[in-house]
Amino acid sequence: MTRGHLARNLLRLAFLCIVASFVLAPMLATVLGGFKTNAEIRTNALGLPAIWNTQFYGSILSDPAFWRYLGNSLVISIGSVVLTLITGAAAAYVFAQIRFFGSRMLFSYVLLGLMFPFATAILPLFIKVRDMGLLDTWWAVILPQTAFSLSLAILLFRTFFAQLPRELFEAAYIDGCGYVRFFWRFTLPLSAPILATVGTFVFVQSWNNFLLPLVVLNSREVFTWPLGMMQFRGEYVTQWNLTLAFVTLTILPAIVFFLAAQKYIVAGLTGGAVKG
Amino acid sequence: MAEVTLHNISKSFGGLTVLPDLNLTVPDGSFTVLVGPSGCGKSTLLRIISGLEMPSGGSVRIGGTDVTFEEPSKRGISMVFQSYALYPHMTVAQNIDFGLRLAKVPAAERKARVTEAARILALEDYLDRKPSQLSGGQRQRVAIGRSIVRQPQVFLFDEPLSNLDAALRTQMRVELAQLHQSLDATMIYVTHDQVEAMTLADQIVVMKAGRIEQVGAPMDVYDRPQTAFVAGFIGSPRMNLLPGTAIGRADVAQVGIRPEHIGVSSSVGTWAARAQVVETLGADTVVYAKVDQVGDVTVRLPGNQRLKAGETLFLTPEPQNLHLFDDAGLRMEDPS
Repeated sequence: MTRGHLARNLLRLAFLCIVASFVLAPMLATVLGGFKTNAEIRTNALGLPAIWNTQFYGSILSDPAFWRYLGNSLVISIGSVVLTLITGAAAAYVFAQIRFFGSRMLFSYVLLGLMFPFATAILPLFIKVRDMGLLDTWWAVILPQTAFSLSLAILLFRTFFAQLPRELFEAAYIDGCGYVRFFWRFTLPLSAPILATVGTFVFVQSWNNFLLPLVVLNSREVFTWPLGMMQFRGEYVTQWNLTLAFVTLTILPAIVFFLAAQKYIVAGLTGGAVKG
Repeated sequence: MAEVTLHNISKSFGGLTVLPDLNLTVPDGSFTVLVGPSGCGKSTLLRIISGLEMPSGGSVRIGGTDVTFEEPSKRGISMVFQSYALYPHMTVAQNIDFGLRLAKVPAAERKARVTEAARILALEDYLDRKPSQLSGGQRQRVAIGRSIVRQPQVFLFDEPLSNLDAALRTQMRVELAQLHQSLDATMIYVTHDQVEAMTLADQIVVMKAGRIEQVGAPMDVYDRPQTAFVAGFIGSPRMNLLPGTAIGRADVAQVGIRPEHIGVSSSVGTWAARAQVVETLGADTVVYAKVDQVGDVTVRLPGNQRLKAGETLFLTPEPQNLHLFDDAGLRMEDPS
């Protein structure tokens, strides 16, 4: 019994290690690649560097352009998250709380957005953004990203809001609390887990978005980091060690954001935030 | 303090009529209990009084003012829910305080009122806790506290004790009765538990399928049920409802006799019966017996009477305690 148990556990452990290695190996190669020279990357892509060169990381960290890209990405990502959370939660609150004519149809229409591929929309998006005079601004990225995140956000929020007990609203309503105040005072504070989940999703997606910024941003002043990374790609030579060091430094904020939000997600799942 | 008057209230949900046409007066300062089986419309009626539901027709008056189209918070009512509906992210003090803050009551007065409510309900030590850190009884007290601080004219209770265990329910029942005495406010209380109805009420309203079957003081309803339904619903164990032929009356559709109004003898009596199940409750012994040609009869005896299942008994209903009902289930005033 115990022997079979042990074997099963070992098997499970091995399987998890394999799965984890799929994620961790490229990540490790990226981090280590930043310490190698270009020649060494070509001969020894995965192993430890023969000499730990820190000057590549150093040169990126001391480059003001890097910090500007990072700042742009941060503003755009946080802007997308905040806008998605507020508009998505408000829309989902209406769908969850209020029964009105055509609400199901409207909801289905909003969900259609889930099936719409981003790349297909890129040309009309560019034209629209240009017509609105937003090219080369943060809004050119924030607004379309928010629009494309809303479908999923509304779907997740509505399911969560619908689970808040109906009597909670009724009790607050008798206390003199209307729909709008209930949204701010009850729905949002009680929905931390789902807000964190959707927020992380939107943040990471925005952080890593390449196509949209590439199309709507032309000035180096407003470049996000994936665009900034392109400066290491020459016509004939790609500076892989600098690229890898750059990637390592730029994914750090996304990981930090995820870890911070993860704590809320876990707390929300285990704490029973809604149970009165 | 206020009287609540319901005038020709009706309510339909889509094609389903829950309340056909209902009139009721709840006297000022009374403790009125709406009681009836599940789905009889008692909760809907309470929600109409509270303003959470709009009636399809008719009017609601509280303290002489027509509040039919008034917001719940403007009606001078407060409501305690079955699930307590405490605000999970606020402390006990904030829960109690919330309605006052929305009503923009000055901070000093708010604090005084919360302290007073906490004192009445023995919640002083728990004011800083969150609802999840409280027991069921304490949560129910917070819910009640939330309604007292608003100093409403009318308190509404929607089955407030059904989520509590039996011992706590008895205790909270006593506390509610004391609260009613000390606050001297009008209270309307919905329950399907007829023990709560009998013990708490000044006025019982028995409902069935959206209609009021009888309104009256508990003992009036108990002693003189106006319909066969009320007779069977109020009282535990249930009143025996037997065919009229059981007492030799062909003109009577049903005859009711309470279990405690049946005499038992081992030798002589009106009905020969066989005891099928004997429940010894301590103070009482309840016998479920079968009488040929009549049906199942429940008898309640003092606890010192020892009987066994399978024994033959002779039962004699007390003639002065018979309740006679006609074909429509209405009481017949015919004591002869």
